[in-house]
Amino acid sequence: MIIEVDRAVCEGHGLCEQTSPEIFEVDEEGYSRVLVGEITPDLRAAAESGARACPVAALFLLRS
Amino acid sequence: MTSALRPPATDVDLFAPDVVADPFPVLAEVRALGPVVYSTRHDIYVLTRYDDVRAATGDWRSLTSAKGVALTDEFNEQLVGSVLASDPPEHNALRGILSEKLAPRGLAKVRDQISADAHRLVADLVARRTFDGVADVARVFPVNVVADLVGLPVEGREKLQPGADATFAGFGPFNDYVMAHLPHLQAYTEWMGTMADRSKLTPGGWGEAVMDAVDEGRLTQLGAIKTLSAYLVAGMDTTVNAISALMRLFAERQDVWAAVKADQRLAPQFFEEVLRLETPVVGFFRVATREITFGGSVVPAGAKVLLHWAAANRDPAKYPDPDTFHIDRKPLDHVAFGYGPHACTGQGLARMEAAALLEALATQASTIELTGDPVRGRNPVVRGYESVPLRVTPEKPA
Repeated sequence: MIIEVDRAVCEGHGLCEQTSPEIFEVDEEGYSRVLVGEITPDLRAAAESGARACPVAALFLLRS
Repeated sequence: MTSALRPPATDVDLFAPDVVADPFPVLAEVRALGPVVYSTRHDIYVLTRYDDVRAATGDWRSLTSAKGVALTDEFNEQLVGSVLASDPPEHNALRGILSEKLAPRGLAKVRDQISADAHRLVADLVARRTFDGVADVARVFPVNVVADLVGLPVEGREKLQPGADATFAGFGPFNDYVMAHLPHLQAYTEWMGTMADRSKLTPGGWGEAVMDAVDEGRLTQLGAIKTLSAYLVAGMDTTVNAISALMRLFAERQDVWAAVKADQRLAPQFFEEVLRLETPVVGFFRVATREITFGGSVVPAGAKVLLHWAAANRDPAKYPDPDTFHIDRKPLDHVAFGYGPHACTGQGLARMEAAALLEALATQASTIELTGDPVRGRNPVVRGYESVPLRVTPEKPA
């Protein structure tokens, strides 16, 4: 499982990073960046809650 | 269609003064009736449960904004084609004009200015000791921040907050509140109509950028007025009321005040919890483009649906003990700003304003207390306050 950031939608509110800083950060250009590749089972809860916090629905969990 | 699938009905008027004065017990009853409840009074289907409201808010294909997001046809006629009342892909271009300025990456360059404004305002309040959290803070700070960013002249700004308040009320039924506040709406609209004019706007502001979009053919003159209005109306009452609520909270909950004094990094999550509790904009409307089922109850195609964000944010299934401010709740997925394609474009600015004000208060004030009873506003669409009388003491006595 991986996380996809829709950069056309992301506005850089940073709630993903606030929720799960081990998975997300807002990069220098003000877009969400995923810090890990494959979302292993131990990261899944943090990945889901971070993606869920996105107010503009720019983050998606996809089967890799 | 079998009658078993018809949603339960209520004859309660969710916009009536007695409900507006104390909405949450009524909303809890409506929520308990079922996932979707038909309001006989306004011929609308009301969603109150968090999971349904959030999913519905994100699902623009099933629940369109393009027919307007207000209750009445008269008001929707004014909205259609604006950023609020459009669907992707048209919506994306309109939103882009706002969000290139309002997204946090566009706001980085104004952060220092907003922080300096907040410190100056709070220094004045601390010197006065007693003030009103609404009249002297909440109705001053966001108005000046937004008007400065847009580049509006100082003269006439006093029309903004009353105009925004009346505009928001207009999203609901045209009841006594709306009628009584129409003069504010007219004064504001008249003034705004003259602002889509470069000679009135400070160079380098957002207003000028909107006029550039007109010159480039991305907006019409009427579109420019609507876009400026979107910044202004949305930037007023919502932030005004969230800030009022925050100041009341600090005065009433000394544990919260002590926590933010000890660690200002907690301010952002406290603001989210206040937004969850207060949810200044109670909800907007959509129109069902197809038959939609919520927990076995059917909303027919063409029906008007109220996405009740204030009710969703107090759904006990999502937020246990929902009527209490919890210092460690951190409810970042609340729906006070809506969600998805139509999520509030100005939410980054609202957070920045609140953080600046909180930081200035926590730095400069030692204690904060109420000197009288807070007075609630009566606006049926935007929950807020008329007055929060406060006293502060300075952090370092002179």
